[in-house]
Formats: sequence, C-alpha cells, structure tokens
Amino acid sequence: MIPVIFLALVVAVKVFKKTTPNGKITVYLGKRDFIDHLDHVDPIDGILVVDNEYLKGRKVYGQVTTTYRYGREEDEVMGVKFSKEIVLAREQIVPMTHHGDDKMELTPVQDKLVKKLGPNAYPFTFKFPPASPCSVTLQPGEDDSSKPLGVEYTVKTFVGENSEDRGHKRSSVSLAIKKLQYAPPTRGRRLPSSLVSKGFTFSQGKINLEVTLDKEIYYHGEKLGANVTVNNNSRKAVKNIKVYVVQHCEVTMVNAQFSRHVASLETREGCPITPGASFTKTFYLVPLASSNKDRRGIALDGYLKDDDVNLASSTLVAEGKAPSEAMGIVISYSLRVKLNCGTLGGELQTDVPFKLLHPAPGTGAGEGGEKKSAMKKGKSQERSRYENSCYADDDEDNIVFEDFARLRLNEPDE
Amino acid sequence: MRLLNASVQSASGWHLPVAMARTAAASSGGAGSLGSNFPPEHMGMVHEHWRQYEALSIYWHLGLAMVYTFLMFTSLIGNGLVGYAFLTCRGLRTPSNILIFNQVGMDLMMFVNIPWFVVNSVAGHFVGWETGCDVYGFFGSVGGMGSAMNNAIIAFDRYRTIAFPIDGRMSGKQTTALAIFAWIWAMPFSIFPWVQVLGAKYVPEGFLTSCSFDFLTEGDETRFFMATIFTWAYVIPVTLISIFYSKLYGKVREHSNMLAAQAKKMNMKSLASNADADKESAEIKIAKIAFTIFFMFIAGWTPYAVVAFIGAFGDRSILTPQVTMFPAIAAKVVSCIDPWIYALNHPRFRAEIERIVPCLKGSPKRPKTDAMSDGKSVATEATGDAS
Repeated sequence: MIPVIFLALVVAVKVFKKTTPNGKITVYLGKRDFIDHLDHVDPIDGILVVDNEYLKGRKVYGQVTTTYRYGREEDEVMGVKFSKEIVLAREQIVPMTHHGDDKMELTPVQDKLVKKLGPNAYPFTFKFPPASPCSVTLQPGEDDSSKPLGVEYTVKTFVGENSEDRGHKRSSVSLAIKKLQYAPPTRGRRLPSSLVSKGFTFSQGKINLEVTLDKEIYYHGEKLGANVTVNNNSRKAVKNIKVYVVQHCEVTMVNAQFSRHVASLETREGCPITPGASFTKTFYLVPLASSNKDRRGIALDGYLKDDDVNLASSTLVAEGKAPSEAMGIVISYSLRVKLNCGTLGGELQTDVPFKLLHPAPGTGAGEGGEKKSAMKKGKSQERSRYENSCYADDDEDNIVFEDFARLRLNEPDE
Repeated sequence: MRLLNASVQSASGWHLPVAMARTAAASSGGAGSLGSNFPPEHMGMVHEHWRQYEALSIYWHLGLAMVYTFLMFTSLIGNGLVGYAFLTCRGLRTPSNILIFNQVGMDLMMFVNIPWFVVNSVAGHFVGWETGCDVYGFFGSVGGMGSAMNNAIIAFDRYRTIAFPIDGRMSGKQTTALAIFAWIWAMPFSIFPWVQVLGAKYVPEGFLTSCSFDFLTEGDETRFFMATIFTWAYVIPVTLISIFYSKLYGKVREHSNMLAAQAKKMNMKSLASNADADKESAEIKIAKIAFTIFFMFIAGWTPYAVVAFIGAFGDRSILTPQVTMFPAIAAKVVSCIDPWIYALNHPRFRAEIERIVPCLKGSPKRPKTDAMSDGKSVATEATGDAS
C-alpha cells in the first residue's frame, strides 16, 4: 500500500493551523479533506497546543459537528430553521484522558507534531460515524446572500468546565473540514449503455437510439465520450440531437430531488435523419463547475471561494448497502440524449448513468488521468504529495504550516 | 323635533347641550329614534330596523370615535413601518414579501375608512350620504375580502417555501400574479352593491356611522347574496388557510423526523446536544404562529359573518346598534394587527424595522414569542457578516 514511487515528489508535510481569537490555543490538522474509503473513513487527527497556565484548571473539549442546511436563511419565516446541526463526537482533549497502558495511538502526523511542538501539544482523534454523509455545497444563485445550502463538517474546540459548556468565542476555534469520496482504484470494464426505441401512434416503424459511454467512472475534468447510434426505421425524421450531462441531486433531509444540466450540446449534424437512414457519432462533453458559475442549485464538492472548486462527486455506497440508505445530499450523474422527432413526433430520450469522482491519490490510474485535468491539478498534486509523505516521510523538520482560516472563507461564525 | 334636528345639522356637528337635549327628547317622546337626524331626502338610506332604536347618546359615538382613533394610529404605525421598510430596503423585496406588501395595501383600504368613521361619529350621521356610503362600503369590502384571500395566498406561499425549501419558492412574477388575484377576488362582491345588482347595496348600519352590505332588506335576493358572500369571503379563505397551514405543519414534522432518523443512523441518539428540544420547539413555533394567524382571521371575521347571517336569516331583534358595531371594530382591529403578525415575525423585516426605529430593539414585545427573538438573532448575525 505504501506508494514508494512518489517519495521523489515529497517536499514537505503540510499542516493546517488555526489559533483562537485570544491567541492562547492553536489547533493543527494534517489535512482538511478526509476521505471516505467506504469500508473506513480517515480519522480526524490533530494536535492542540495550549498554555497550561491559561487554563487554570479548566478543560479543553473538541467536537465534530455536521450541519445540514436545506433552505435559505432568508426564507426562514415563522420561526422555522432550515438547518440542523448534529454533534457527531465530543471529547475532552486537555487534560488527556488516555494514560499509561491506555495511551492513544498516534497517527504519523500527530507523532511528528507532538515531537515538534513539545509538552503542551495534545493529540486528538475523532472518527466519522459509519453512515455519515459526504460534504456537498449547493451553489447559490447570484442574488443569494446567505449561507450556501449543503452538508458541512466542522471541528471545534472550546474551553469549559464540562463538556456541556458552550465555550467562549475568544477561546474557541472552528475548522471547516470536508468529507469526500474518491473513485475506486479500478475504473471497471463495463461500458454503460442504453438502448431505447420509440414507435408512433399513426405510423409504422420505430426509431432506435443506442448510447454507449466510453467509461463507467470519469474523473473531474475528463472528457466524456458518448457514442450515439440512431437507426430510423420509422416514417418520421429526427430533426436534431441534444446531449446533456445531468447532475441529479437528492436532498434526503427534505425528500427533494432535482436535476440540473451541467454540460450540454445540441446538433443538427446528420439531421434530418430521414426514414430508413442511420447515424452514428461520438459526442464529447466536459462537465465542469467553471462553466456553471452562478447557477443556483449546482452541487459542488468544494467551498465556493476555493479556486479549485469542482462539481460534486457521485455518491458511492458501500457494498451491500442500498443507494437509498445514503444520507445527506446524494449525487448521481447521467448522460441524457434527446432526439427531436418533429412537432408531432415528440421526443425520444434516454439516460445513461455514470460516475464522476476524483481519482484516489496514489493509484496509478489516478495520476495519469489527473494530469490532463486542468481543474484540480495543482491542489490534488499537493494533496497526493502530502498523503504519501504522511506515510513515507521521516524527515521531522520538514513541516510547513499553513493558516487554516485564510483558505476557508466559509467558516461557521460561531 | 324637526327644528331640533335642523339645529343639530346647522351646527354641523354636535355639542353637548344639543346632544343632551336630543337624549332628553328621545326619552320623553321617542321621536329621537336612531336615524331621525337624517334629512328626509336621505332617509331612504336607513333601514326601518334601525329606526326602532332610540338615538344613541353622544358618549357612545365619542367612545367609538376614540377606539377608532386608537386603531388608526396602530394601523398607521404598523402598516406604515412595514410598507416603508419594503419600499426602502432592496433586500426585502423578495417574491414572498410582495404578498406582505400586498397585505399592507389591503389594510390601507380598511385604514382609509377609519378617520372617516371618526368624522361620522363626530357628525352623528354618515358624512357623504349615499355616495359616501357606497365608497365607504367599497373600501371596507375590498380591504376585507382582499385581505381574506391574501391571507390564504400568504399561507400558500409559506407552505411552498417551508415544505419545499430547495425548489418550491415562487418567483416574483408568480407572487405578483397572486397578489393581483387577491384584488380581483375582492372585486365582484364589492362592486355589485355599489352598482346595486343582485339586490345588493351598501347601507348604514349600527350607529349609522359606518356602511356595509345590506343584510336586512327582506327577500331571497338579499339572502342569496349574503350566502354567496359568506362562502366567497369567509368559507373559502378559511378553508384554504387551514389546509395550507396544516399541510405546512405536517411537512415540518416530516422534515424533523427525517433529520432525526438520519442522526439516529449515525448513532447520534445518545448525544445530548442533538437537541430534541430544538426539534420540538420548531414545530411548536410553527403551530403557534399558524394558529395565531388562523385565529386572527376567525376572530376578525366571524362576528361579521354571524351578524350578517342573523340579519338575513335569523332573529334580527338581537341586532341592536351596539351589537352590530362590534364586528366592524373586530375587522378593523385585525387589519391593524396584520402587519405586526406577518412582518414582525419575519426575521429580515424585524431587522430592517429595528434599523428604522432603533428604540424598538429593546421593546418588551420581543421575549413574548420566541419565534421572534430567534429570527432576530439570525438576522443580526446575517447583517453582521455582510458588513
């Protein structure tokens, strides 16, 4: 599992840090994105540094919360709240509750930080609950001013006498983190396809439409190839062909579903496809977040102000689980082809499902395809560098601290 | 007696000695019956039913005038603030708020009648005679029926917003169309009495200082008209309001149950801060506000419906002038409270109004409904972010 080949790329371990407004407590996290591997999720591992004299017997607690926001703040009339915060874990960090034999296992990055930051560094580890949903943000429209809709995660630490204390803003720190899924290591051999046909009420014969995709799983930024074959055995003519990439978004908390076209093309090539004729062509589309700016309701993986924002990844469910069991906001994609058979003929339409995700860092397939993708290139390389170094690197002083707050403008303001 | 009446009119109003003289005359001879101060050419306005009562003491008129003056200021402040906030603050001009603004418009129609009524009370008769009566009746009717339908539309809008928070909101065009629809809804039964079709007309009622539909004239036409108007302006809106708010409540429950189920799936049930209390209060808040709105409507319009029905179908001997005036007041009170109910439990309206009138911030009203204070804190947070 250790990807030795990437050792050459290792420059430094990047660690994100954030300090409380009063400057007394600093929290370090090895990463901001935590990956759901279906069978397990990366633990949230971090270090907290606090001046013991500051605490004066008080304790420091940490908690992980997920916030579902499923309606705009400005629409919260009648005392309704369109958001729900669920505390997923809450533990005491200082003083440490693990002693002696019970000593907690440290992840490599924690180990490194504890050594570097000295005796006032306290490690903490939180786990995502097994069924927790992935981070998704729904893009607000141009005129929306309030917080975006979606599923968010926050790590928060606060000072208090007991875990039920709310803590004071000055001595609290909140870090917005993401829970994401990556594509499985292999892309699968199966090519998704769909075959449909349409007959007409007052005339004989049918139009057949077959659509086959060139992959089952696409990486963000990759080009989708859709092979479209039309066999016209009817007496109607096909006037034009429309191809869309459709993002399906299911907001489970309010039982709402909606779809958005995230890429589309319309062509008259080969049209009209007259009775008896047939037509085959491969159409290419690239679904990108950047071509859907300011469109309300487009689901995104990242935060809005990140430069590397990309469309939301398809939601994967662990084997043996029904997709309907997925929680939060469930994302899926399909390629939709529509044939326009004239005013009286109506439309012939089919959907071919596919998946859109990031390649798992460290998988060979990942790097190859990723290089081409303009969108995520910089960040994901950085990420994979770090991910790998985390396991393989042993250079202790090679730590780069990055300010957490600057990168996450979308902080919860508590 | 004719002389005395003439002197009352020539004084163009009342003054105490005259009024006392009138009361004295009434008690001694009975000639001072209600409506007897109407000149003969306008006597046709007054239904016989009222003439059997003695003319009312000036204190009754004065008392009502005071109540109305109070209502006038309440309405002016409430509706004025909401209207001003809507017109001056861009952020408030959302599709849903068009309906709130429309409500202000409806209340304003009712408001026009209030100072008029005060003048009538002071004059002791209906100022403007037949034409005035028609105009007064028309304003009252449009304001009343329009706001009934507008209430139902607001209920619908809230249902859409809350039940389908992601894609259910109506566009500005849709809500504008609905706002116009409320006005159209109010028109037929406001215009018919004016042009006196279907046997309907506006007549003075109660103290003969306000005008409304004629529910006293004998005949099937009047009865038919009253039954129709009852369905149109009362039954249909009330039904719609209760349907939308109960559906809304059901949806809120459904959402919170779904959220609770998801929290449970993540094994979060044991954690204290999952705030079951929070979930409770959201539903209770909704129920409270929905019930308030529903109750307001019922309280505002049921008295009128009852009086009109008694007049048309029942034992009208219980319809004394005092009894008949009560519904008019109830309806006006509702039109004064409307803006406070609708706009002031709206977080952004509250924030804006508190900006306009900073002293409202510490008003003792706020802690009364937690919905309000909650909404407020959200709103201030939001503005804090923006700055």
